[in-house]
Formats: sequence, structure tokens, C-alpha cells
Amino acid sequence: MKKFQDRIGLSMPGLLFGVFLLLLPWFPPFNKEYILRWLIAALIVGASAIAFDFSGGFIAVINFGFMGFFGLGAYTSALLAIRFHLSPWLTIFIGALSPAILGLLSGLVSLRLRGMMILCFTWFVGLALMGLATKLVFLTRGSLGLPCPTLYKTASNVPYYYTILGMMFVTYLVMKLVIQSHYGLAFRAIGQNMEAARTSGINPLKFRVVNFILACAFAGWIGGFYAHYYGVLTPDLMSTAKTTEVLVIAYIGGRGSLWGGAVAAVPFVFAMEVIRSVLSDMPGLNLIIYGLFLIFVMLYYPGGLAEGYRKIVAKLRVKEIAQH
Amino acid sequence: MGEAIVMEPVIVRFFRWLKSSAGITILVTLVIAAYAAMDQGAYVIINILVTGGMWALMAMGLTLMFGVMNISNFAHGEYFMIGTLVAYYVFTPLHQHLESHPNHLLTLVAPVIAVFSAFVVGGMSGILTDRLVFYPLRKRSKENWLMNCFLLTLGISVILINAHQLIFGTQYKGIVRYWPLPPVSLFGVYISIDRLFASVLAIVTIAIFWVFMKYTKVGQALRAVSQDETGALMVGISVDNIQLLAMIMSCALAAMAGGSLLFMYPSYPTVGLEPLYNSWFVIIIVGFGNIAGAAAGGFMIALLQILTRVYVGEGWEYVIPVLLIALVLIVKPNGLFGSKVRGIWEK
Repeated sequence: MKKFQDRIGLSMPGLLFGVFLLLLPWFPPFNKEYILRWLIAALIVGASAIAFDFSGGFIAVINFGFMGFFGLGAYTSALLAIRFHLSPWLTIFIGALSPAILGLLSGLVSLRLRGMMILCFTWFVGLALMGLATKLVFLTRGSLGLPCPTLYKTASNVPYYYTILGMMFVTYLVMKLVIQSHYGLAFRAIGQNMEAARTSGINPLKFRVVNFILACAFAGWIGGFYAHYYGVLTPDLMSTAKTTEVLVIAYIGGRGSLWGGAVAAVPFVFAMEVIRSVLSDMPGLNLIIYGLFLIFVMLYYPGGLAEGYRKIVAKLRVKEIAQH
Repeated sequence: MGEAIVMEPVIVRFFRWLKSSAGITILVTLVIAAYAAMDQGAYVIINILVTGGMWALMAMGLTLMFGVMNISNFAHGEYFMIGTLVAYYVFTPLHQHLESHPNHLLTLVAPVIAVFSAFVVGGMSGILTDRLVFYPLRKRSKENWLMNCFLLTLGISVILINAHQLIFGTQYKGIVRYWPLPPVSLFGVYISIDRLFASVLAIVTIAIFWVFMKYTKVGQALRAVSQDETGALMVGISVDNIQLLAMIMSCALAAMAGGSLLFMYPSYPTVGLEPLYNSWFVIIIVGFGNIAGAAAGGFMIALLQILTRVYVGEGWEYVIPVLLIALVLIVKPNGLFGSKVRGIWEK
């Protein structure tokens, strides 16, 4: 059983979580359409957090322009579907190619940058993408919004929910498989100490670029889903604020654990939406709570959810050993 | 290996500096500015001085926090916002009082009071932020400091923006102008007194700041802590107090910039985002930790944005300068002016 778990990267709690999410829409409060919308939004953020953490948590490249790549994939997919009348199911995949290529280019040119500098570089790439989407009105209709065909003909949110759930799991599994291979070891080495990794014979260029391409490709893929779920795209999808949402979820979940962001996304986004509708007469209070919570977590639990989980598991294991 | 100490004449050193990347950049900037002024009119220079002065103040504050506290502050724009807010709520009642009780002295002094209050409240918010947020983090753990601080400042930014929205509302709280005086004519261009005041204030502040950092004991202590925290501790500098001072100065400068530009930037929750982005553009292109460079860079970025707006069009200010900066980063990963302060942000 353990070997099986290691091979596919999902432990028992992970599988349980997956089953939980699968069954969720069948239970009363969660079968309402607006609740499903929140859940879908949460899963989009969760899947994005996985892709984000693939770079941020392993090779220590914080892609602060993440939503720029996400939006690039979204816009590409939407434009292909509109201009060439292709099915959205196809364009989502083709659309993921453009952020992958941009990821390749960015990875190549930013090789000499470290830490804060690469964060700012990716930030600027994201800002430039957002600016281009706003100004190239002949292509993207700018701030007016780009309507695009949806994945399903039905107005119900249920098929979308299962689609994004599946996409999130595929993202996680693929990335987990890569992490568990020697690529993952190389990523971690580069992330912790680039010089030592180089001395050990790891070629940082190859691994950084591969990691970045993969992360951006998945970002674009999920972006494609976003486009063909909401049916309309505006440039502020690529704003820094949106990247911050993903980044915060990834960090609260625990950087370096792929699953942390995905698990943290659901309760977090959900709670945010609930608070927002409860406190709708005091606009912005929900975000103040969000900011306070973020500060609290960063001050007292910087390792995030994943570290808390590991500590609990470790304590349980110690108890188990002590009992024998 | 013996090396003779060569005392070169200043002229020779100046020409050698001109050939360095810093010198080339500044020369090119001046040439481009002169060309733009001849092409479009001298008002370009005035705009550069006004906005450039503001970005310079903010970038200097940001650099201070980088160098001395190792904090990448994504909430820096919010202190600008606090400055605009304070200036608005100080100036507007005074203005209303002056409408019914005209008083020449008060009319002249009211804007100064507003800007000064912005400065003071900015400093106070710096104290609050440091003691409430960063001081506990310094005490708790220094591990993963950069990312934790970065996220903390994101949280602070969110809180401040939404607190403004919650308490003061989203409407634009602006003033028409500070001084009811006619514009002044300088070199054939008419400058409003407000803009003149803002640019003079910025330049004077930069000069005072320069003198402070170079010649006073406290300034030297600030530089010492930014170069080597442990070394500074060993020489007896109270690093904690110096870091608090750096934060106070950084926030006060940002708030002062906001207050002095209330006529240009009305107060609303997200008014701080544009200054935030621009001060970050400045320090990235200039290189972290270089305060003099930050001041010069403020004017450079202002020039770049004004040129973009004039020659390319409205709304491209976030595309062209950003692409240029990305290009600069590719060629010169440490920024145009390099940086003598290699810090943990290069990990």
C-alpha cells in the first residue's frame, strides 16, 4: 500500500480529500448553484496554487506575474475558439502553449537573476502582459471584455465543478510525479543552494527552464478553463492582486508542498466568500480580516498548513512507536 | 603587491565615472530630457521634476527599508495613501475656515501645515507598523525572512487599503489647489505654485537627506547597519533603534510625497498603487541598496513615463517602461547603478 501511495503521490488523507471533494456537490448546502460557483472559484485558485508552488516552493522562483501567464493562456484559448471556431476543449490545450513558450523565454533570459530580482522580473512580465491585453483592443477588446464560448452548453455549474476538480488532480499528479523523480531533487537543490547544486553537476539552466515551462503551461491550461467557464475575459484577471491571491493561498498551504495550496484553497476562498456576503454592508471588512489572518499566519505559522500537518503526523508516529 | 595610492585630479575621476554605466545612464537621460524639452516644450521638464521628485522620495524610502531592514515593502504605496488622506483631512477644514475668515498668513501656511501633518502621521504609522508587525517577527525567527516579510507587507497593504475604504469611503477626496495664487512664469513656462512647492520640497528633502546620511552620526549608523548588521552591533550601534528609525523615515517620506501632491493625486483607497509600482520600478532599474541612485532613478523613471505618455500614448506606461526594465535586468542583473549592498535578497 505504501509503495502504491508513493508511486502515485497521494497518501490516504489525500485520497480521502479527493473523495470528499468528489462527493461534495451531493450534500445539501453544496448543491446550490451559487455555492458551487464559489467552490469552482476556490478550485481554480487551488489548482493555480499547485502550479505556483511548483516554481516557488522548489526552485525558489516566485512567479509574481503568475496571473499574467494564466491570462495569456486564457486569452489565447478564447481567441483561438473565437477566431478559428475550434472547440474550447481543444483550445484549452493549445492555449497552454503560449504561456509555455513565454515561460521558456523568461526562464532563459532570467537565468542570472536570483531571489527578489526574479520575483520583480516575473512581476514586470505579468504587468506588461496585462498592459498589452488592455491596450491591444483590436485583439482583446481591452477592458470591455472578451466573450468566448463555454465548455458546456448547460447553465448548471456541476459539470464545470467536476472538470476543474479533475484538472486540479491532474495538475497535482503530474507535478508530484515530476517532483518525485530526479528532476524534483534537482529542483530542490537549485532552490536551496544554486552554487552547491552547480558543483554537484546539476545544470541550473536546464532544470530551471523545464520547471518554469511546466508551471506556466499548467497556469495557461487552467487559464483556459477559466476563460471557457466564465465566458468573458477582462485584462484585470492578470493583475497583481490576483497573483497575490494565488500566492497567499500557496503560502498558507505551505510552500514546497504541492498539495498545501490546493487543500487550503477550498476552506479559505469559501470562508472569504461567506464573510463577504455576511458583512456586505461593510465593504472591505472581509479583506481586512484576510489581511490580518495572513499576517497572523506569517508571524506564527510561517510553514503553513503543510508544516502543521507534518507536525501532527510526526507526533502521531512518535506515539505509535512509543506504544510498541 | 604594492599599489601606489594615486590621487587623481577630480577632472580625471569625473571622466572615468562618466564611462561607467551609471555615468552613461545619467548622461543619456539628460540628453533625452533636453531633446524632449526642445521638442515638446519646457513643461516636460517641469512634469519630470514634479513626478520625478515624488518617485525619488518614495524610492529612497524603499531603498532605506531594503538596505537597513532587509524588508521588501509592498505596502510602501499605502503610506503615500496615508499622506494624501491626512493632508486632505487637515487642509479641507482649514480651507473652509479660511473661506469665512480670510487670513493671509494662514492661507500661505495652511498647505505647509497639511504636508507637515502628513509627514508626522506617516512617521507615526511607521512606528506602529514596525512595533506591531516587524519587531515581533525579528524576535521570533529570521528564517525565510524575505518571503515572510514580503507576504506580511502584502497583508499590511490589503488591510490599509480596505481600512481606508471602510472608514473613509471610496470616493475621490481631492482638492483643487493648495494656494489660491496665480501661476509663476519660469523660463517661459507657467508653473502653478503647488507644483513648484512640490518639486522644491522634493529636491530640498533629497539634499537634506543626502547630508544627513553622509555627515551625521545617525546617518552613518544607518549606512553601517545596511552594510553589515553584525558589524554594526559590534561597534555598539543599537540596530533595533536604527531599524525603527529607517522605517519611520521611509514611511514619513512616502507620506510627505503623498501630502505634497494632493492636488494631483486625490485621496482614495488604491491611490498608493501607482507610487508603489513606480518606486519599485526605480529600485529595480537602479539596483537595490543604492540611495543616491534611487533619487536619480526617480527622475529617470518619471522621464521614461512622461516620454511614453507623450510619444506613444496614454495607458502604455505599464507596458513600455516595464519591458525596458526587463531588458535592463537581462543585461545588468544588478541594476544600472550596481549595488554595493549585496543582501540576502539575492539568495
